[in-house]
Amino acid sequence: MRRLRLGPVVAVGAIATVALLTPFLGLANPLHMDIAHRLAPPSPAHPLGTDAYGRGVLSRLLWGARVSLMVASSSSLLACVFGTALGLAGGFLRGPVEFLALRGMDVVLCFPPLLLALLVVTLLGPGAGTLIPVLVVLYLPGFVRVVYAGVISVRTQDYVEAMRSLGAGRMRIMLRTILPNVGGPVLVQLSLAAASAVVLESGLSFLGLGVVPPTPSWGLMIGAARATMAQAPLLLLWPCLALSVTILALNALCDALRDAVDPHGMTRRAHRAGILERLAPGLLPARGPALQVVGLTIAIDTPAGTIHPVRDVSLTVMPHETLALVGESGSGKSLTGLATMGLLPSIARVERGAVWVEGRDVLRLDEAVLRRLRGEMVAMIFQDPLSSLNPVQRIAPQIAEAIQAHSAGAGKAAKRRAVELLRHVGIPDPERRAHNFPHEMSGGMRQRAMIAMAIANHPRLLIADEPTTALDVTIQAQVLELLAGLRHESGMALVFITHSLPVVAEIADRVSVMYAGEIVEQGRVTEVFARPLHPYTAALLASVPREDGSLPEPIPGTVPPPSALPPGCAFAPRCRHVAAACRTGVLPLMEVEPGRLTRCCRWSDLA
Amino acid sequence: MTPIITAENLSKHFPSRHVLGRGKPVQAVSGFSLAVRRGEAVGLVGESGSGKSTIGRLLLGLLPPSAGRVVLDGTDIGKADAATLRRLRRRMQLVFQDPYSSLDPRRTVGAQIADGLAIHRVVPPAERHGRVEALLTQVGLTAAHAERYPHEFSGGQRQRVGIARALATEPDFLVADEPVSALDVSVQAQVLALLADLRRRLGLAMLFISHDLPVVRSICDRAVVLYLGRVMEEGPAADVFERPRHPYTKALLSASPTLDPARRRTRILLAGDPPSPADPPSGCVFRTRCPWAKPACADTIPQLSNLGPGHRVACLRVDEIADIDQE
Amino acid sequence: MLYVLKRIGVSLLLVWVVATIVFLAIRLVPGNPAEILLSQGGVAPPPGAVAQLRAQLGLNQPLGVQYVEDMRRLLMGNLGTSMQDQSPVADEILRRLPRTLELIVAAAILSVLVGLPSGLLAAIWRGGMFDRVASWLAAVALAVPVFVVGTLMIEIFALGLHWAPAGGYVSFARHPLRHLALLAMPATTIAVGLAAILFRMTRASVLDVSMRDYIRTARAKGVAPRRILARHVLRNALMPIVTVLALNLGSLLGGTVLVEYVFNWPGLSGLLVSAVNARDYPEVQGVVLVISVLFVALNLAVDLLYAVLDPRVRQG
Repeated sequence: MRRLRLGPVVAVGAIATVALLTPFLGLANPLHMDIAHRLAPPSPAHPLGTDAYGRGVLSRLLWGARVSLMVASSSSLLACVFGTALGLAGGFLRGPVEFLALRGMDVVLCFPPLLLALLVVTLLGPGAGTLIPVLVVLYLPGFVRVVYAGVISVRTQDYVEAMRSLGAGRMRIMLRTILPNVGGPVLVQLSLAAASAVVLESGLSFLGLGVVPPTPSWGLMIGAARATMAQAPLLLLWPCLALSVTILALNALCDALRDAVDPHGMTRRAHRAGILERLAPGLLPARGPALQVVGLTIAIDTPAGTIHPVRDVSLTVMPHETLALVGESGSGKSLTGLATMGLLPSIARVERGAVWVEGRDVLRLDEAVLRRLRGEMVAMIFQDPLSSLNPVQRIAPQIAEAIQAHSAGAGKAAKRRAVELLRHVGIPDPERRAHNFPHEMSGGMRQRAMIAMAIANHPRLLIADEPTTALDVTIQAQVLELLAGLRHESGMALVFITHSLPVVAEIADRVSVMYAGEIVEQGRVTEVFARPLHPYTAALLASVPREDGSLPEPIPGTVPPPSALPPGCAFAPRCRHVAAACRTGVLPLMEVEPGRLTRCCRWSDLA
Repeated sequence: MTPIITAENLSKHFPSRHVLGRGKPVQAVSGFSLAVRRGEAVGLVGESGSGKSTIGRLLLGLLPPSAGRVVLDGTDIGKADAATLRRLRRRMQLVFQDPYSSLDPRRTVGAQIADGLAIHRVVPPAERHGRVEALLTQVGLTAAHAERYPHEFSGGQRQRVGIARALATEPDFLVADEPVSALDVSVQAQVLALLADLRRRLGLAMLFISHDLPVVRSICDRAVVLYLGRVMEEGPAADVFERPRHPYTKALLSASPTLDPARRRTRILLAGDPPSPADPPSGCVFRTRCPWAKPACADTIPQLSNLGPGHRVACLRVDEIADIDQE
Repeated sequence: MLYVLKRIGVSLLLVWVVATIVFLAIRLVPGNPAEILLSQGGVAPPPGAVAQLRAQLGLNQPLGVQYVEDMRRLLMGNLGTSMQDQSPVADEILRRLPRTLELIVAAAILSVLVGLPSGLLAAIWRGGMFDRVASWLAAVALAVPVFVVGTLMIEIFALGLHWAPAGGYVSFARHPLRHLALLAMPATTIAVGLAAILFRMTRASVLDVSMRDYIRTARAKGVAPRRILARHVLRNALMPIVTVLALNLGSLLGGTVLVEYVFNWPGLSGLLVSAVNARDYPEVQGVVLVISVLFVALNLAVDLLYAVLDPRVRQG
């Protein structure tokens, strides 16, 4: 749970406190009429003057707050208790309880809320005694649904199955495990119901169908003040203001609670991509490479300070070549890939470095120029093809769109080409599949469709970010084969981002090993895997399960987070060969043999 | 040695998801039998949709089988009453794949480990705290970790917590459902080492569910290869992985990437996707993707036949294929 | 197709349940409707008159017989006669329903015109000046109850500035310009809150969709930003917006009562309030039924629209 913003809590608390303390403030009796002093201007006895019956406005305002808040809080709390119980029972016990709880609420929801209130008031007569049960019934469905939805989503979580597997009884699971996990949304719903109850109570009272006069209530006061609107407009203003401020405070509390409870609803501070530092122009690259990354450093500003998840990364990829970018989670390999496309998420910015694609520095290009480069010269495919495809668009138009973004051709031709591309990437029956929606295809087929989209404009460079991680082994083999074939026939360069060393061994010519944001070793795959020149590479290779049945060797400890990097070599705390020199200063990436780079200062002792 | 847990001819089908009951039921598992002895680790290998997770849940009694039975140490868990079932639960536990969703985010790690101790009164309440600390130490964490919440742990540490929670009830049988596939390679090796060590020290029987062949090979004594809810091949891990006999096992092994260039086999590339479990092929379920399929494969469901000690294969052409393979 | 039939079936069932509940609520509530009706002014009515009225209303028959009779009547589209002037309830409803619908439609159009573009712009310029000002305005608009907005508008625009009449109704056929002038303020009053809701939903939905992977894919393809917005963001963002709009329009059926009261707009809700005050049960029953049926129908329309917008729903 995130931190709750305190402003709204304080505001609602202050309003509630004033309402609670009203009897002790020594105000005039809100019911005492004094017709002689009707519509009087402010006086010491009546700081806000008097109304049409000579009653003190301030006094009625504060006593009215008590009535409004009492009705709102008691009805929303009661609805909360009953609704939560019903939702829990329905979601956890299933069967007839579930049916009754849900369908019952559907029936309540068939009536527009105000209409239902009117109907009940007709039958039972106005007054707070009618109002509270009506509001309880009105808000019940909200709670039942929120709790039910929460239970359904929590029920399938592994930790609930873990409780079942431990032999825990239903009550124990419901109260100990499920209830605390749906508590957040229920709290949000509670503040929502309270705010809405204030609105509804005042509205009904305004119509004369809620609180019965002479009991003070904001709705009643506004209704009454309308009669004297022309003579005493302020009489109208005070209750309007009180009512609106209270609702504003309650609404703000809802928003604050929602933000605190729901990580997705958080309205994150906008991070504007920083203006690129233009002082260090990357050296003009030698002609030839499909991609050249020079000294790339990426920064993310967090509340705790700026972190650098990618530091001083340099890469060169030639046409026809496959470079694997390998590393564990948090190594910065995916961010490097996204930066190459100019697609960094908005919270991240490039602090230093240059990315040369086809002789142009991607980082210093206009977005409009960059856009023409993307999909035309460089293309990218991602790990999860389902979430990476637009769910409401058929496959063919999505591929055609990639073609049309870069050529002025007709839609028909692009669609035909899309079908051709689908055939090219080995999708059986491409004419039919072209009309599928993404969810109608298998994972392997979706990734093939993504590849078709990526190669539509014959890019010189394809960046593949964990393209086979989500796939089964036999499907992975198909996709790897397809990528190797495409590279072979078109001569495009391939940057293959992955965490799997065996996959690297299968597909790549050269490999760059990343650890904690830095490249620690680089070279030809066969050489690096046969004779690693960095202890991390060696340890990573040893931790891969072998087919001879021996247990793999773990690397002790964990990867340091970018916010807490050790001084010197980032791998030093976990390294078997660590020496004093490893723990100080900045270690450069050294070319120790032709084409072999390492960031280890003890490489010669290892070899 | 007698098996600690036995599955006899287990089948499980799920009703189809169509609201009006149209469509066939999904046949998740068909005719699955298995016996696991004390201290033995059996690997259950298969791709998505092979039914391997369903089998794990069936063995633990978390799902009722549609046919067949599960016997834990002489007691049929399908016929056990609630009190007996609860007693049996203590003896078999589950370790999950996802280290994030498997821990309750709102309770301390210590409290979650203590749940098992409390439910089964493993130790008197006064000793619970000490036992939680002992369990944490056993999985390579420290006593101080008990007071922390799951989000304060890394993926590998969470997986250790999950293992400690499972060990709290002092089980004899552990189902580990893809316990390392969500972890980074270096951490994966740590957890594998821990599981292997616990198994040796506590004499745990283990069903190790995984799609990763080398991982299974490194930790299991025996391996069972599943495809579309049916056993294709089973046997000692060394036999199955070194001398695979079933075409599917061969394809799976050849598709699995390897670091070792010398071991890189000629790849048997399977065409297409696995068929839907709601509509499996007749006869041998693998025949639609099998490079060696012949018309007869569509007519007969191949039965498991013995090829060697404990090594069994369900393939009509197993003998002919053995010859083809001698290149 | 199956999905559509199922949704329609469920909706019909709900309408039947609503009719039954309204029937039961009126019959089973403590107090004798006939007696309440006749005892206005606090004087007990003569017993003979009560019995006569009960017979006239069919209240002395067994509950089951009344129920069957009532449902049969409703099925034929007969909503009964008003207890006040014996005129058919349906006639009065038909006369007033279009006025309420007109109010709702006008408010919906206004709020969509304001809420959608401003929400979109706020999302595009997230964190900028426009976003902050608009978000703040929306929060205020949400906090002021509709009858407060209406009352304040009358005070400012009608009494203070004399820009518009304070309230009333003239039919469009008789006096088109005056009709529209009278429509403007109540419609705007409703639109204020609705536009704020739409603004917030649009902003949140567009921001949510913009962070999805498939937007990154579109950018990786080199698709122009404007096209990404139109083809990928809006289409996906529209679904929650449509739902929220429809649900709010639904609650306006009956929710316009306050605005109609403030502006003397003779719509359906006004009929309901007067029927409530007069304890005219057939009229209350008729209005509640009609509004609930419309409400259920609207929800059905949203569900079906969903199926059109999102292919994943069609599979059921």
